[in-house]
Amino acid sequence: MPGDVISRFASVRLGTRGNQRKENGFGQVNGHHGEILQGVFPDDAGRLHRGLVTLPCNIVSSTAVFRPAPGNLVTVPDDKLKAAEAARLTLDSLGLHDQGGHLTVESTIPVGLGMGSSTADVVAAIRAVADAHGAALGADEVARLAVRAETASDSIMHGDLAVLFTQREGIVLEHLGPALPPLEVLSVNTAPGALVDTVKQPPADYDEWEVQAFRPLRGMLRRAIRTGDTALLGRVATASARISQRHLPKPAFEEINGIAASAGALGIQVAHSGTVVGLLFDPRNPATARHVAEAAARLDTIGLPPARHFRTDAVEVRHVA
Amino acid sequence: MSLEMTMSQPQSRETRGFPDYELPRLVRLTDNLHGTAFFLMKLLPARHMLDRAAADGRLKPGGTICETTSGTFGLALAMLAAVRGYKLILVSDPAIDEHLHKRLLELGATLEIVEKPYEIGGFQTARLDRLRATLEVNPGSFCPSQYGNADNPRAYAEVAEQIAERLGHVDCLVGTVGSGGSMSGIARFLRHLNPDLHVIGVDTPNSVVFGQPDGKRLLRGLGNSLVPPNVDHRQFDEIHWVGAAEAFLATRRLHQHHALYQGGTSGAAYLVADWWARTHPDRKVVTLFPDEGHRYVASIYNDDWLAALPGWTGVLPEAPQLVAHPSDVRPSWSSYRWDRRTLDKVLAEGTSFARDLAEAA
Repeated sequence: MPGDVISRFASVRLGTRGNQRKENGFGQVNGHHGEILQGVFPDDAGRLHRGLVTLPCNIVSSTAVFRPAPGNLVTVPDDKLKAAEAARLTLDSLGLHDQGGHLTVESTIPVGLGMGSSTADVVAAIRAVADAHGAALGADEVARLAVRAETASDSIMHGDLAVLFTQREGIVLEHLGPALPPLEVLSVNTAPGALVDTVKQPPADYDEWEVQAFRPLRGMLRRAIRTGDTALLGRVATASARISQRHLPKPAFEEINGIAASAGALGIQVAHSGTVVGLLFDPRNPATARHVAEAAARLDTIGLPPARHFRTDAVEVRHVA
Repeated sequence: MSLEMTMSQPQSRETRGFPDYELPRLVRLTDNLHGTAFFLMKLLPARHMLDRAAADGRLKPGGTICETTSGTFGLALAMLAAVRGYKLILVSDPAIDEHLHKRLLELGATLEIVEKPYEIGGFQTARLDRLRATLEVNPGSFCPSQYGNADNPRAYAEVAEQIAERLGHVDCLVGTVGSGGSMSGIARFLRHLNPDLHVIGVDTPNSVVFGQPDGKRLLRGLGNSLVPPNVDHRQFDEIHWVGAAEAFLATRRLHQHHALYQGGTSGAAYLVADWWARTHPDRKVVTLFPDEGHRYVASIYNDDWLAALPGWTGVLPEAPQLVAHPSDVRPSWSSYRWDRRTLDKVLAEGTSFARDLAEAA
């Protein structure tokens, strides 16, 4: 796009009173717990895209505050390089090439587990910069900026919306529904202490059978969301986790899967580029509290005590009994 | 081809085809039995095989396709060749249906009819020899080889997707086995979502696919005189062998009771699926109906033709005869617990007598 078009476009979005700035802009976004489904999926023209459907985790989040100032962009802490890059890209996209400021990013999302810490910092920064300038950026726009800043992004800028998101392009391949059916998740970190650099990993090299196998997973996911069927959701997540196991294997995968099956879980899901595994339960099932307690006890016996227990549709943490 | 290369290639639907004709229509037959009625099932694997070959250069624009077939796979190839501008040479034998022959010619295909069977190997071997010769005189031509091409079973991911989206969880899959593409493909895809899926393959007596001795078969479109590499025997929990007469009668019943006008393989699948659904009323069953009935107006849908069939009784058996080994299969409806074993493993168990001995020991 020619520069003058960008400026004209930006000025429209910068609020009715021109380039009006706030003292401080604020941005916030929740983390996630890996994916229900990740693989490659055809678009309407039949072209394949890498895509994923995120499992929301609203008990962890990143927050950013941006104070605009002329000159340099200063980021605290200064190792949040991707957040800094995202802030710069956001300023540029608003036509504010000479603008800098002070960006502070804080996060409760653990790093290296595949829970979206990097994207959350990036999205919080983008939102804070936009907010500081009275600009309303849509989720698609935030996604495009995030992908430019960090190459591959999670879909957390779409909130609880259930979308099939192309993590390397930042576009929504398919809108699946307003949200996933609610799930209760028992979270296990399969490699405590080991950090996975979720961005530096090479993308999974799926074989030709796997490329096709993602089609029925996507079909069943559509039905699970449309009908609120958590059992189907568990099947899709487990099937996707099984394929992921060939590409980024989780330690103790079969043991965890066995515990999930015998404890009455719907299935398991994994962070396809991380270390966490979630045992999925149906919050509407009265036996779930008992099932969760049983699963937690058995996970403890194999040396993998669950680190978190949350509902995808709620923010409160409930402690494992 | 690597995934990155695959992803940079255009996939299906960028060239001409029949996407809305490829997938079946879903019909609920009873509370727990669902049929998937195809217009022409082979369109889907044929299109997928051509797409993949075109994407990696095995099939050039305007190139030549050679294949041996006397059935619906040839028709599917001819339809695609006609709209995509390929030259098509089909090797067949005198048993080819007269109307199909005309239709293939009308679609622009060249037919090479092998006039005489070999003394050893029959028409099958004679046709394969002619195909080899045809490929030699047409250098650069593409042979889809539906029996061995792994893109055949993989094509059925789209049917598995449709079943998963429309029906959700399925307990049992029933379908006829010929090339192995549809049943091996769909079973493996659905089982990835449901490891407990019960898979029933439907074959016919005198077909070698599941261990019968080779022989003359009146029921076409399922079974085979060779074991196609695309048959993944370990996908099957149960095998049924359905004879021609009962398959045709079941085809008529499918029309009379459910208003589905399908071909003979659909009748064979319906017979077995309906029995299993009746005996497992709390389980959801889906079955495949591979083609429509129009090609069988003068045969299956003709009472006089049916009445002249050898062994015609006009009565449909209520249930299969469970046999102890494939070698015990009779000319009429039999079933066997395959238990997801390889063909070699099943055959190694020998006759029921040997099996009894083994079990006693």
